[in-house]
Amino acid sequence: MLAIKTNALTKVFRTKVKESGLRGSVSALFRPHHRDVYAVRGIDLTVEKGEVLAFIGPNGAGKSTTIKMLTGILHPTSGSATVLGLDPLRKRKQLAYRIGSVFGQKSQLWFHLPPQDSFRLLAGIYELDERQYRERFGALVELFELEDLLKVPVRKLSLGQRVRCEIAASLLHRPEVIFLDEPTIGLDVVAKQRIRDLIARLNREEGTTIFLTSHDAGDIERVCKRVIIINHGEVVLDESVKTLRYSYLQKKIISVKYAEKTKVDIPGVDKTRESEYAARIEVSTARRPLREVVAELMGLGEVVDITISDQPLEEIIAGIYMDRGRGGEADEPDTGTGR
Amino acid sequence: MSTAVDAIRKHARLFAAYFRFNLAAVMEYRASFLMQVFGMAINNASFIFFWKIVYLRVPAVAGYEFRDVMFLWALSAAAFGVAHVCFGNCGSLGRVIIQGELDPYLLQPKDVYFNVICSKTIVSAWGDTAYGIILYLLVYGFAPGRFALFLGFVALGGLLIASARFAAETLTFFLGNASAISRLLTEFMISFSLYPEKIFGNSVRWMMYSLAPAGFVVFVPHRIYRSLTLASLPLLLVADVVYLFLGYMLFRAGLKRYESGNLVVTRV
Repeated sequence: MLAIKTNALTKVFRTKVKESGLRGSVSALFRPHHRDVYAVRGIDLTVEKGEVLAFIGPNGAGKSTTIKMLTGILHPTSGSATVLGLDPLRKRKQLAYRIGSVFGQKSQLWFHLPPQDSFRLLAGIYELDERQYRERFGALVELFELEDLLKVPVRKLSLGQRVRCEIAASLLHRPEVIFLDEPTIGLDVVAKQRIRDLIARLNREEGTTIFLTSHDAGDIERVCKRVIIINHGEVVLDESVKTLRYSYLQKKIISVKYAEKTKVDIPGVDKTRESEYAARIEVSTARRPLREVVAELMGLGEVVDITISDQPLEEIIAGIYMDRGRGGEADEPDTGTGR
Repeated sequence: MSTAVDAIRKHARLFAAYFRFNLAAVMEYRASFLMQVFGMAINNASFIFFWKIVYLRVPAVAGYEFRDVMFLWALSAAAFGVAHVCFGNCGSLGRVIIQGELDPYLLQPKDVYFNVICSKTIVSAWGDTAYGIILYLLVYGFAPGRFALFLGFVALGGLLIASARFAAETLTFFLGNASAISRLLTEFMISFSLYPEKIFGNSVRWMMYSLAPAGFVVFVPHRIYRSLTLASLPLLLVADVVYLFLGYMLFRAGLKRYESGNLVVTRV
């Protein structure tokens, strides 16, 4: 059963182009120039009910624009979309009862009031009766461990706590599909992991279809089963996470700092930067296991700081283009809108 | 029919929920709330002295006595206050559109127009409302029938002011930024509604009954109140419905042009 289907979904924004400075402003006043910016170019995708899909790409790739067309916020320029069999524009209100959404940059909680007040208002908006509300509210408070946060004004919550409340708020009406747009943006490692665990649990226990956008490769590896990579408004890759991990996510980046001058010379790794006290190396886990490399680095001297991170998404996309003989396209100037 | 009644009931419930919610939100900062309310009331009251001085020299201005001018002040302040207490977003829709803040409303299963307009309250407008009602009671005293009529005018006037401002702000969808037009409309409406009708020329009076409908906010109610004949009352209802409909249709057409945005937004 399909949860989402799009057919050549396209969004073009018409933006004003103006030379810099006063002369440019005056000239634009009399002879305005416009440019069409393709935020999304003919995307075809299908998502099954209960699926956990990562929809990822660099900034300005068209992720948020796609989500906004799927939820009825934006009108597509051409093409069509259905979510749970409904047209998001024509049946916006009907669809709103069945979907939930969290936009990392836009809060649906009132800044000056405690989350429980916003939950109560949202219950009214989604027309939950008292019994339904109490039952659902209790379950979400337990699942998201919100007990201590409920009476604290939102402005006093940490970002991670606020995101937990945001996700819980978007689940009050038991949506069948939830759109999560950059839910882990700005979070520290621990908070990110907690949010990822909650999303996975939500899918497992309630069968909710998850449509997750992110520019963090870690989000996909730990939560999703399928990944669609989008760049410049086009689908670059549509694969299982297993395949992606095998083909493109084998590279880890280790940054290490020593207390004393240390020469980092380890076989089977690529050094991308080195100074007297620090080094940044790239490890292909297919060539050398990560724990071996870390152990060797620790053995070279007294380590004061070490971080292990995924390869940036831009590099993964560049790798995909290279494999397909379209090297360099990932480095094109950003035509996205960041909307 | 039952579907329409059901829809009206649901939206009335939403309106009541927002009203309670917004009141709770402004009460979070009690000192600021009280200062803004009393500050606005005192600011408005200062103009009474100006008019008192004028009427010490002349018995009437363009057929209006002191009590008549006070009626205009009381009604326009209370109506302006109610418009912004109940429909706080009527004057900020342009900013909401430009900054992409319509997204949360579009994601909720409610009429977007209604949802946006009543989801906010303006704190100082409580002061305008209180001032208008107190001024009326001080000048005219408490006669239940007349007071109810006055409150009816306040409600209709508030709805008209909110609808007119909202319609002007909606032009942002088409012009890119309509805040200057909206500001101009508001200033016209306030200026027109605070002085005796006949001091204005014909062209201005034409505007008062069309583009900047101050005539329907204060002058028609004033005539009804003075003569106590309700024949013109339907005119007020028609004016409200016309502006409400105009704003609604403009908004619906404009939504197709909405471009959202990526600004970090919190709801306050």
